[in-house]
Amino acid sequence: MNIMKIEILGSGCAKCNKTKKFVEQAVEQTGVDAEIVKVEDMDGILAYGVLITPAVVVDGDVKIVGRVPKVDEVIEWITQ
Amino acid sequence: MDNTVIPMSEGAKCSCGASVVGIFPCAGASNVGQLSNAVAVELHKQGVGNMMCTVGIGGKINGLLKSAEGCGSIIVIDGCPLNCAQATMEEAGIPIGKHILLTDMDIKKNKDLDLDPAQVKEVLSKVTELL
Repeated sequence: MNIMKIEILGSGCAKCNKTKKFVEQAVEQTGVDAEIVKVEDMDGILAYGVLITPAVVVDGDVKIVGRVPKVDEVIEWITQ
Repeated sequence: MDNTVIPMSEGAKCSCGASVVGIFPCAGASNVGQLSNAVAVELHKQGVGNMMCTVGIGGKINGLLKSAEGCGSIIVIDGCPLNCAQATMEEAGIPIGKHILLTDMDIKKNKDLDLDPAQVKEVLSKVTELL
């Protein structure tokens, strides 16, 4: 089974760090086998068409842009 | 009109701080379509908002749709009364905060795609007054 890939897109600002923390909490709570990757490289961010950060991408699908997700939202994305 | 290059590092706007204003021009194949694009570029450079990809909204590109949804407010600039950019945003269900129509500014639509910098400056000034 493939490991889920969750990318946190952002420059390392406060909201981006909070997003990463919430994603980690969601992964921990659900026990989903996931790789969490922080993408700070602008080319990598723009490749998804994302123009505002933070953003969260789950297995290549952009889930949220421009705000910090709630842990429950992340749980919903990764357990669908 | 200056020729400032927008560095790649400013390609994505961090949402920490003030809410993000998205600017969506129609960028159509006419003088007014190209004017809408030029005005959007200048507004972006001036820091009024962030120019975004209107055609990506029509193409339902997920990252661009989500970026539009992440904006605090949306400015749409259409060149002519076909209002393609407005229709594109409405079709995607993205609420428009301010809609500007350039032919309302006594500019006649034609197929001349070479912009006059003086006209860009003049239209930019009028658009800025409306915002």
